[in-house]
Amino acid sequence: MKKMKKYIIAILSIFLMTMGCTDEDYANLNEDPINPSEVPAGFLFANATKTIFDQMGSTSVNRNVFRLFAQYWTECQYTTETNYQIDNRSLPDTHWGIFYRDVLFDLKNAIELVENQEITTDFTPAVQANQLAIIRIVEVYAWQQLVDTFGNIPYTEALMGSENTTPAYDDAQTIYDDLISKINWAYENLDSSAVGFEDQDIVYHDNIESWKKLASTIKFKIGMRLADQNPSLSQTLVTEAVSQGIFSSSSDSFSLQYENNNTNANPLYADLYLSGRQDFVPANTFVDNLNELEDPRRSVFFDSNLVDDDGNVYYEGGIYGSLNNYSLFTHIGSYFYAPDIPVILMDYSEIEFLLAEAVERGYSVGGSAEEHYNNAIRANMEFWEIEEAAIDSYLTQSNVAYSTAPGTWKEKIGMQFWIAMYNRGFEGWTVWRRYEAPTLNLPAESNADIPVRFTYPAEEQTLNATNWSAAASAIGGDNLYTKLFWDVN
Amino acid sequence: MAQEKTVTGTVTDADGFTLPDVMVTSSSGTEVFTDSEGNYSIQANEGDVLTIESLGMDVVTVTVGASDVYNASLRQSGAIELEGAVVTALGITREKKSLGYATQEVDGETLSATPVQNFADALSGEVAGLDINQSGTMGGSTNMIIRGYSSLFGNNQALVVVDGTPINNGVYSMAGQSIGGGGYDYGNAASDINPNDVETINVLKGAAATALYGSRGQNGVIMITTKKGKRQKGIGVQINSSITVGSADKETLPKYQNKYGGGYGGDGTSFVTADINGDGIDEDPVVYVYDDASYGSAFDPNLMVYNWDSFYPQLPTYMQMTPWVAGKSTPNDIWNTSLTTVNSASFTGGNEDGSFRLGFTNHLFDGPVDNFTIKRNTIDFSGDYNFTEDLKVFASMTYTNTKGKGRIATGYEGRNPMQGFRQWWNLGVDMQKQKDAYFLTGQNITWNVTDAESLAVGYADNYYFNRYNNFETDERNRYFGNVGLEYQLTEWLNVMGRFTFDNYNELREERIAVGSAGGQGWIDAGGAGEYYFMNHRVSEMNYDVIFNIHEDLTDNINLNANVGWNLRVNERVGNSAITNGGLKIPGLYAITNTAQALTEDNLSQFDTRKKVDGLFANASLGFWNTLFLDGSIRTDRSSALPIDNNRYWYPSGSISFLFSELIDQDWLSFGKLRGNYARVGNDTDAYQLINTYVFNPGFGEAYMATSELTSNNPELKAETMEEIEVGLEAAFLKNRISFDVSYYNRNTYDLLTPVDISSGSGFGALWMNSGDIENKGIEARLTIVPIRSENFTWEMTANFAKNDNKVTRISGDNEFLQLGSMWNIQVGATLGEAFGTIRGTNYVFDDNGHRLVDDRQTLENGSTNPHYGQYLFTDNNEVIGNMNPDWTGGLRNTLAYKNISLSFLIDVQKGGDVFSFDTYYGYATGLYDFTAGLNDLGNPVRNPLDEGGGIILSGVKSDGTPNDIRVSASDANNPWGYRSNFAPEANHIYDASFVKLRNVTLSYSLPESLIKNTFIKNFTISAIGRNLWIIHKNVPYSDPEAGLSAGNIQGIQSGAHPTFREIGASVKIEF
Repeated sequence: MKKMKKYIIAILSIFLMTMGCTDEDYANLNEDPINPSEVPAGFLFANATKTIFDQMGSTSVNRNVFRLFAQYWTECQYTTETNYQIDNRSLPDTHWGIFYRDVLFDLKNAIELVENQEITTDFTPAVQANQLAIIRIVEVYAWQQLVDTFGNIPYTEALMGSENTTPAYDDAQTIYDDLISKINWAYENLDSSAVGFEDQDIVYHDNIESWKKLASTIKFKIGMRLADQNPSLSQTLVTEAVSQGIFSSSSDSFSLQYENNNTNANPLYADLYLSGRQDFVPANTFVDNLNELEDPRRSVFFDSNLVDDDGNVYYEGGIYGSLNNYSLFTHIGSYFYAPDIPVILMDYSEIEFLLAEAVERGYSVGGSAEEHYNNAIRANMEFWEIEEAAIDSYLTQSNVAYSTAPGTWKEKIGMQFWIAMYNRGFEGWTVWRRYEAPTLNLPAESNADIPVRFTYPAEEQTLNATNWSAAASAIGGDNLYTKLFWDVN
Repeated sequence: MAQEKTVTGTVTDADGFTLPDVMVTSSSGTEVFTDSEGNYSIQANEGDVLTIESLGMDVVTVTVGASDVYNASLRQSGAIELEGAVVTALGITREKKSLGYATQEVDGETLSATPVQNFADALSGEVAGLDINQSGTMGGSTNMIIRGYSSLFGNNQALVVVDGTPINNGVYSMAGQSIGGGGYDYGNAASDINPNDVETINVLKGAAATALYGSRGQNGVIMITTKKGKRQKGIGVQINSSITVGSADKETLPKYQNKYGGGYGGDGTSFVTADINGDGIDEDPVVYVYDDASYGSAFDPNLMVYNWDSFYPQLPTYMQMTPWVAGKSTPNDIWNTSLTTVNSASFTGGNEDGSFRLGFTNHLFDGPVDNFTIKRNTIDFSGDYNFTEDLKVFASMTYTNTKGKGRIATGYEGRNPMQGFRQWWNLGVDMQKQKDAYFLTGQNITWNVTDAESLAVGYADNYYFNRYNNFETDERNRYFGNVGLEYQLTEWLNVMGRFTFDNYNELREERIAVGSAGGQGWIDAGGAGEYYFMNHRVSEMNYDVIFNIHEDLTDNINLNANVGWNLRVNERVGNSAITNGGLKIPGLYAITNTAQALTEDNLSQFDTRKKVDGLFANASLGFWNTLFLDGSIRTDRSSALPIDNNRYWYPSGSISFLFSELIDQDWLSFGKLRGNYARVGNDTDAYQLINTYVFNPGFGEAYMATSELTSNNPELKAETMEEIEVGLEAAFLKNRISFDVSYYNRNTYDLLTPVDISSGSGFGALWMNSGDIENKGIEARLTIVPIRSENFTWEMTANFAKNDNKVTRISGDNEFLQLGSMWNIQVGATLGEAFGTIRGTNYVFDDNGHRLVDDRQTLENGSTNPHYGQYLFTDNNEVIGNMNPDWTGGLRNTLAYKNISLSFLIDVQKGGDVFSFDTYYGYATGLYDFTAGLNDLGNPVRNPLDEGGGIILSGVKSDGTPNDIRVSASDANNPWGYRSNFAPEANHIYDASFVKLRNVTLSYSLPESLIKNTFIKNFTISAIGRNLWIIHKNVPYSDPEAGLSAGNIQGIQSGAHPTFREIGASVKIEF
């Protein structure tokens, strides 16, 4: 019996020893075996870039309602967003969250990785500078997008992770100033004799010259945004940018060509096609104007589902903001249902409209307002593959031709610029914000005025209350009708 | 050595009847059985202990003294016990009277009396302070909360321990399922425990009771002791068989209006016009069946229309017109009866060296809808053997195979039929016609197509097509049990080494057929079909070594102590995948049948591993059998915490004072005062210290990765819970009246939580030790035996529990920690209020508490105010509800007359709120009866205002005068539903109070005289009923208990399933 006792005690001690682990063993056990703690900068850069295109191209009512804000489209059975109620689906939270978390934070980490990457024969200082400049350009685009949506936003204290969970808001104009210096830095540091992100560059496929042109075009656009608020700075930026070289054809566009598969399809493919839903029809605001102009782009923008008794196709938009029976109105054109169409963030047509405006404002950018106006419309129509003859004839219509079209230069440019920005809801809405043209409708169910900004995310009120309330009072109230700093008219 | 002598006696039951075949063993090894008159005779020494045991009865022990005669009275086990042994933490058996903390026992018989899918469901209302909430999805998970929610984000479910083996009780549903985002509730894994194998359940409520389990016991422990083999003559056989039929409780189904057909009402009509019959006039009325609402044209049997069934060439009704009438058969007709059969057999045996029990149970559930079954087979074996006098080996193992098919999906998605039937429905649809159409064609002939030409499926599939084609299957193979050695080192010291394991593999598969509506499941299938699987292995292993010391220090002072070591290893390893872009070949559900290449979006892999080791010591001293003192200390080390902070210590202490020992009064049978203090530390899940990236699908030649939404934190430390508890137990008048009452106050500090942070930081949330919660409350049990006579007994037991829960600290700027959100509704912890507040837009109230209506006729921009006469509502979310009940209670009555016994349980909950997405949407879509009723003028409320329709909302105008503005209710933009912010979300908060007749059991045992001369020892037949009657509730159209899943998010209903009334019969035979 004594022996047995000894055995058992011996077995127990071995058991205890073998089952014991050191603290280091425990720490190793707690390392995630699936997800990496480090990745190359290019992975983050490519992901962030695509995320911007995905977000700006989407028409999911949970993510992006700018096509509705611009009154290109309206909703059928569910009319909340067209009535400018954006809190129900937390749209400000989503837009803000995507830009800060999924775009800017990854870009910031990418910058740190590139800055700290060891120089080698392949990764030369020139490559490093190119990569940093390219990230900066995308970053400036993203910051401007946020400012143009919300106004003052967290900037200098933003993106610090757990080190600052309640970032203070910066003044929008100060942010613009910093963006200008960033974009200048990027332009100056791009070197087309070296490579950039190579395969990770999903937009320009490592064409450094294209990035350079994008940098100056973004500067140009920033300049034009400031036209009313700071005319002298505006003029300086615009003329500098034009001399550096801005977009000169549609092939320069800052756009992403999506793929013919579900995974990398244009976001509209999921929203319009895969969902099987019939949530949207073109709005009467848009269709009525195009009908008035007999615009040839109607055949691309819209479906020819309505045919009158004589067999002629006609177009009728859903009443903006009202319940609409999908079957009774013109549908969205079939072009928008394809997976492999691009999302465009900036294009040549847009730049030409802005050049027309610059001429009207007396900036020395070359050409006449009419020339730029015509270039803009032509570029846009060519993009939509309208026949040359139809374009020529359209440009001579008395209600289109720059000399005869009705209204002030703002109204003329505003109308055509707005039409050209179809499928680019954010820019379409911004055209209206900048030119107060064209005239948009009040939404049928709420009769609410058309917003000029997004309200701050509801979660900022609970998670960053002190800074949120300071920002709200700084801009003059956190509501949909507080004008942005550049929106002074 | 004392003289061996013959000891005799008679064994009777509590009512004085003699008991035959009772085993009497002496500690010197002799074993005899009582004869048919209940008499025994055994050789024993003075000082021997006689153990007298019989199946279903409590064991009685007697020490042989000078006398030669020892009569014993055995009581049916499970009767309320004041003295005697109970199983406490780590399986340590203790005298109940010595415990300084609250426990409550439930007898296995009570549990298995009414067949349930999940053993926990049978505990509802039985135990004070144990809040059981069935999610209402048949075969789904059950929420088990003891003394309220004490962790914000961590697990709050009570730990289930079977014979010393901790059981993994995870749910592992899709993200968002628990708040209504859709997906299946596969049930929590504790449903694998077989109620028929349970001998007793002991609920350990407080931290002091569970301190030896370390952090595992923080939420209380449900200790299950399974039936064991007994030393007995021959082999004991028990056979149980039951059959139960369930039917939907109409009170938990929608009440539909039958006056108006499909539409949203924007144009007031259900129809579009076209030339269908080819007469050249395009004025034929065609029902616009894309509208999934019932705010269209009034039904009119004289109006002939083309409805969905005239669109399909496959149907005999093609091109035929039908009268415009409400569907004769409504969605409430899909519910058939369910059938549950449970058959089990067990065999027990044993002799002086060992014993065994072998059980087999087959549980079949045939669901109340087509193509829904759950089958479970359980085999369990337990045994022990004494190698020597001092060395005992024991082992037990349970194998369970569970197969589910066609579970009903939950929440907001198309595979949950109740999403449509409660929220989006066209009452012009006749379900019988939908059924016939499916069975005729086998195709997705749905009423909801985009238009009559394309016949493209709109939002909803044909329900029957969905049932038979878009179904899930799941299979779980589970092994749990333990093996160990117990060695008596000296008279006062023994050591036990034990290995316990719980390991299961589970495969879940979900299918969506080609041709189904988009948006069914995970990512939009676009009608191209989908297949998904998840395969995982979940395991928990525990290694225990425990030294037990039992020593009588003096005649009057006893010491019980133990010192032990425990290592726990948790793992979950598995993967899941979903097809991309549809299926290549319809009907083939295999991952290789994916139409497009699988990407990072379609694949996921999990591999989480964690170890926690602990050392603990516990000592208990008893003085004069009157005063008992307990103390324990434990330290744990967790691999999930950072090296510098990975070890944490916690103590507990308790005192128990039997004042009845000092008061010698006839009326006082028993009295005990107890108190305790305990601390418990808790760690977190694996991999929450270092930030990582996730891969996204590549684009072109580029690889993609992004940072996680939630920031990890290398500074985390253990959270701690502190609890004080005092209690009083007493019994009077020979136990005719007894009660047990406890008060507790528990505070949890440094809660480990992923706190939402401003996205401006780059993360959406950050893991932190972020706040404190306080739970305090009382639990009480009162038992009264109004009548106890030879033939008739009536016993009543009432339970009551009240818990107040309050979030006392949240770090940083936050005043609200969100646990989940669905659209604008948030569930979470609000500072200064309860954990589990529900937030949304609220009414605006004037100073007198009246609801304010918007009485501005025009807006600032000069246009008319569309909200004129509607309720004002808050711009921001406010607390509009709280998922925690004010109190819960149960009342069980047991009446026994001779061989007949009747037992019933009334289960009560007072307070608590639910938010209903069902009425949020359904009130706008006009499904429910009241949306088509008459208004205060006696006119149809849906009439236009100029025809006397509409309603005046109860409330006041800005000047305080009663509202007199009549508002329109003639389309979906009515003042009740979700649309256009006309009604605040607070309109869909309901008080979740209920009173239910939870179960009734009526049983009859064949009298002794009839079976005396047969081999049968016991023959009982019972009639059983479960969820028979909701006596009172305030939630319209659903069960206030209906929810979505077990977990920390409760209080949300979306597509709620009905509750089933179950009625059945069972037979139990022992021989």
